[in-house]
Amino acid sequence: MYNLQLTQEQLQFRDVVRDFVAQDVRPSALKSDRLESFDRPLLIDALDKASQIGLRTMAVSEENGGAAADSLTRCIVLEELAAGDPDISAVLSLTSNLGHLLFDRLLNPAQRDRFLPEFLSDDHYHLSCGCEEEGNDTRLGILYHGSSLAARVASAAEQGLNKQWVVNGAKQNVLNAPLARLFIVSVAVPGRQQPVFMLIPRDTPGVSINPETKFRLRRHGVGGQVTFTNCHVPGDHLIDPSQADLAALLASVEPGSVFDQAIDLGIGRAAYEAAVEYAQIRVQGGKRIIEHQAIGTKLAEIAIAVDLARAAVWRAAHAGDHPEATADGSLPNLPLDLISRCFVGPAVYRATKDAAEVFGAMGVMRDMPLHKYISDSLVLMHSGNGVSDTKLRIAELLAGYKRS
Amino acid sequence: MDFRLTEEQLAWQMKARKFALEEIRPVSLERDRVADPQQTFDWELFKKGSRLGFRTTAVPKEWGGHGLDFVTQALIMAELAKGDSAISKAFSQCWKWSHLIAAVCTDEQKTRFLRPFLADDTFVLGKGITEPSGGSDNRLPPDNDPSAGVKLRGVRDGDFWILNGEKAFIANGNIAKLFFLDVRTNPHAPLREGVTLFLVPRDTPGFRPGKVFNKSGWRFYQNAEMIFENARVPHANVIGEVNGAYKKSSGDTSGGDIFGDLELAANALGLCEAACEQGIGVARTAKQAGKPLKEQQIVQLKIGRMYMLTEALRSFVLRVACEHDQKIHTANAGLVMNFSTEIIQEVSELNMEICGLAGSMDSAAEKLVRDSFIWSHLAGDAVQRMKVARRIIR
Repeated sequence: MYNLQLTQEQLQFRDVVRDFVAQDVRPSALKSDRLESFDRPLLIDALDKASQIGLRTMAVSEENGGAAADSLTRCIVLEELAAGDPDISAVLSLTSNLGHLLFDRLLNPAQRDRFLPEFLSDDHYHLSCGCEEEGNDTRLGILYHGSSLAARVASAAEQGLNKQWVVNGAKQNVLNAPLARLFIVSVAVPGRQQPVFMLIPRDTPGVSINPETKFRLRRHGVGGQVTFTNCHVPGDHLIDPSQADLAALLASVEPGSVFDQAIDLGIGRAAYEAAVEYAQIRVQGGKRIIEHQAIGTKLAEIAIAVDLARAAVWRAAHAGDHPEATADGSLPNLPLDLISRCFVGPAVYRATKDAAEVFGAMGVMRDMPLHKYISDSLVLMHSGNGVSDTKLRIAELLAGYKRS
Repeated sequence: MDFRLTEEQLAWQMKARKFALEEIRPVSLERDRVADPQQTFDWELFKKGSRLGFRTTAVPKEWGGHGLDFVTQALIMAELAKGDSAISKAFSQCWKWSHLIAAVCTDEQKTRFLRPFLADDTFVLGKGITEPSGGSDNRLPPDNDPSAGVKLRGVRDGDFWILNGEKAFIANGNIAKLFFLDVRTNPHAPLREGVTLFLVPRDTPGFRPGKVFNKSGWRFYQNAEMIFENARVPHANVIGEVNGAYKKSSGDTSGGDIFGDLELAANALGLCEAACEQGIGVARTAKQAGKPLKEQQIVQLKIGRMYMLTEALRSFVLRVACEHDQKIHTANAGLVMNFSTEIIQEVSELNMEICGLAGSMDSAAEKLVRDSFIWSHLAGDAVQRMKVARRIIR
């Protein structure tokens, strides 16, 4: 069986989000004064509405109060959101994906009882993850097998009989930091090879946030530096280290994940739709420009790029949801998420540039959204692991070796 | 073949390099970050450059300019663009129209317009072609369609012409003191037979600059709307014949704007050099786990490609400049302009990749990429490519 049909639930999700974006996101996101401004404040009202229709908690299981959206459904939703505004999409992606990881996978019942009710009931409750390794030697760049322990900036020491942890240090470029009420943070502990992961509520004394103005060069959404100064964290806020590979699980919320690719797809689709619409209105050379071969073929190339990018993202998401499809050979045993990462970034970037060209001079003006689509896709192409280093990872996985 | 530059060419190249390094580069990123598009221009910097000759480079010597050859012009544009592409363009835009004045104006018009231009360090030139309703229609006019292209209307009234309409995206539209303008003087004829070229001073009654466009990149170089409401322009400011703009306006009688094409390619060369310099600097200095980035094969491959593309562009640019100096006019000028689009964008993107591999997403690298976007519209869109191809095919 080869079935590319979405479920009724997935279609419904898509349509609800598409309507929401048309009514509540695009009109604000594409206002010309917002486009022209160097600052792009987060659309907080739209974010709250998104929470009210369940997008903040969509990935959390039904028994824990969410909508149990699988990876593919989340990708569909994130594409729709990003077609209106990639920042909202990035914020909701992190909160909902982390919500699923924490409340469905990682927290023990006592931790869940402590944090879940407030997470479900408060539309402003967002989650953040300070788990990316810091410094040039590790997460960013080509030497990704560097020592993780040495690079961690936050460190902790155990204190007293009741096992309070005292955390000191800072994490840079933390997505959602200015919004988050709860952080999951990887922390180095002297004498231990592996970091520990702990839950640190925003209101813990000693936690401070500095929003980062250059964050937009790295990722969408809002970000900042989180500083921990003699921050006392109770021992029961530790994530049980005996669980599955925590670092691998958290990779799903790192830059460049399949969910980031879905956001990129939304940006590409917005550019595509704008170009097709304009090409049917604008008349030059005595006819609508879509009727000129030069523009017609360019629009076709944009459509091809966006559609193939979607196929790659959906296949990678489906493979994540259905390991059995890889196990029985229905899907190739390849790192489909990394393959998709290498294809989607450049394809969408090219598509946004082509779309801008259709607009002539208006394609480079800030009061039109085309320049925004190009810049937004450029950010995603370079966030986290770039295409070159992702190819190195693919090469390792193809032959099962690890670069020295 | 002799690839050596003359002493004079080398001297101008060094002068431009010094100015770019000492004056342009230090303010480039700061100017890029000025939020108000009307405030991006730096007059003090422009005046300094003017005093060094970078505004009047192309005015013939007999009229008091420097009368530099095309090779020297290309060298200067590339050096200035290595400091900041948009600032280089702000200077060379004046050369573009100096060429036009020298090629098509009468001696009386040259006296009236070139003399004040030469005397004033803040005298900037512009040309208005594009309008809200038509860009491509003017670049590649459809045959026998009088409704296509220029709509800014000019009606004769004795010794004057009355102009009504508007221009859009005009370079230096808000700061220039003198403009060439394409004006529709016969609405019933196709573009090639119904448009007249005028010289219009900024202080012409009935003219006012409109909105300054807020571009993604190239922010120093300003583009504005121009609005004409019963603007009165003397008949003495008509260039060439009435309805003859497309016969007389080009300085290149063999067809094609020979300077404008070279200009964008030479400017791209400078931006590519800036990207190469930054890329190799990062590759040499950035380390990961104690190992210099330059030792990575994928970095070596990127550096090699950046330099290969940049040197290919340099060869093509200087060949076209040399051909212009020898009055050999071919489709090469258009081809090098088209070619520079791919090169400037790929080289600046490769630099950004190297910065990404170093783990430092640098705003200078991002600016180079953003500055390169405009080539898609100016130098490498389908219309600019078809224009050149049609010249080859015909």
